[in-house]
Amino acid sequence: MSTIAPQFRLSRFVASLFDIIFWVILIFSLVGLPIVFIILFYIKLPVINNQLMTPYLAMTWMADPSETLPIIKNLIHTTFFHVLAFPGFGFAALLAAATIFVERKFLAKIQLRVGPLYCGKVEGILQLMGDGLKLISKEIIIPAKADKPIFWVGPLLFVGTAGAFVSLIPVARGWVVANPAVGLLAVFATIGFFPIISVLTAWAANNKWTFIGGLRALHQMIAFEIPLILSLLSIVIMTGTLNLSQIAESQQHYWWIVFAPISAIVFFICILAELERIPFDLPEAESEIVAGWLTEFSGMMYGLIQLGTYLKLYAFAGLFTVLFLGGWNGPMVWPPFPADIVTQGITIGPITAKIAGLPLFDQDMLNGTLWFVIKTVGVILLILLPRGVFPRIRIDMLLHTGWYKLIGLAFINIFIALGLLYAGVLGPGGLIQ
Amino acid sequence: MHRFLYSPIGLLATLVGEAASSFSPVLLMFGFAVVATGPALILSRMIAPKRTSSPVKFLPMESGQVPKEEGRTHFMMQYYSYVLMFVVFDVMSIFLYAWGSSILGLPKAATLPIIAFLGVMFAAFAYALYQAGRKNIW
Repeated sequence: MSTIAPQFRLSRFVASLFDIIFWVILIFSLVGLPIVFIILFYIKLPVINNQLMTPYLAMTWMADPSETLPIIKNLIHTTFFHVLAFPGFGFAALLAAATIFVERKFLAKIQLRVGPLYCGKVEGILQLMGDGLKLISKEIIIPAKADKPIFWVGPLLFVGTAGAFVSLIPVARGWVVANPAVGLLAVFATIGFFPIISVLTAWAANNKWTFIGGLRALHQMIAFEIPLILSLLSIVIMTGTLNLSQIAESQQHYWWIVFAPISAIVFFICILAELERIPFDLPEAESEIVAGWLTEFSGMMYGLIQLGTYLKLYAFAGLFTVLFLGGWNGPMVWPPFPADIVTQGITIGPITAKIAGLPLFDQDMLNGTLWFVIKTVGVILLILLPRGVFPRIRIDMLLHTGWYKLIGLAFINIFIALGLLYAGVLGPGGLIQ
Repeated sequence: MHRFLYSPIGLLATLVGEAASSFSPVLLMFGFAVVATGPALILSRMIAPKRTSSPVKFLPMESGQVPKEEGRTHFMMQYYSYVLMFVVFDVMSIFLYAWGSSILGLPKAATLPIIAFLGVMFAAFAYALYQAGRKNIW
């Protein structure tokens, strides 16, 4: 039986309430309001319907659904939304998660197994969620002599760098998180961080397996970075730009894989090596060195590395699509929106949403995204395929492939591109515009 | 007036800060990825069980054996030559991009020095690869 505490007096309770209210008002007016004004000073307020959208006006519009649409349409063109959801992290993480599941089923089908089957009624579709829950509820064990700060930030740096890489990939016309004029060089700069992270975490873990794996990762990524860079030079010569959006734009009529097939092959092999996938998965060769540079990662730390790996996979596949397979260009297959949807809203049976201008995205963007996703998924499946059929190669064979063969092949297509340019086939005033 | 504020890109001069700010979404994305996934580690620390610790649990993984010596050991320098080559030829291949991205605006005669440069690069590359292949000297 609960009773009010013997010391309880209503007057003191009310006084304490007033005390709290006093402090809240004081702190809000001294700290909160200045912060709000400072933020409002630096935020560029959008102009919608010829009105400057102040917070007051925004709240007024929120109460009226027919006026909310312009605000949402404005919101999805902000950098915040780009980073958070569509061409950025949310979209990439969704594709990455789907890739993990598809990879398991795909490999199982290649090897006549069934793959994940029990979790979830249909074909083990909930397996990924189960894996996530398992990883997050496992204990994180850090070796006693490990360098703890570096060991902790390693997975976070890996995911962050993979995210930075994703931000440079254009998905549809005008839909890209970061669009610097030298986007291709920014890509090279970003992927240059991955071997550093591998070696740092491998050294920090104080384990022989991680150390061997980290050194292997370093040698491998170094060996394949130069052919990767050189194989894209032919694209740059043919387009004359380093901006990824412009490179995708330049492939409206024909894809660059037609003129640079050798570059495409070299670049694809380099992708496999940079992603540490079979036949180049020496850094985490599970039958030789436990799990390579990932040996000491347990629980969610391993989960983050896995997420980063698949974000990187998506980004590389997207880069291949943008550079060689025409990016978002493709025949217009997305049906046009009926005029009455745009002017009056949708009417489906009993549920009506009569909001003018309902389609949030335009037809061009949806079509571009569709083609980009189709091509990227195709490239991702091609990247996954060797895992089912190829063995792992030795480190000296790997170095020989990277340094002797691929660099030579990469130069061949540079000269082909130069020849096409100077023979008047491509370029300004060329036969093919 | 303030020439240092402008960087000439082609014929147009742009503000240096403007060119630099086109990279800011990359940093934002990096930060967002860290901020969005970092809580998973904290959450994992909160809900994961912490069973009794034994010294064996925190030993480095060596397939069930008690590890000898340190994990950070000396290593073979067998492939060190490739690392040295990377330092030189990575920069060289990036130099080629400066030429490749501006080739449409250059006269055709400007390609000849680049071909000569490639010749020098190939010769150096072949010699470096020959030396790297000699396993007995490393």
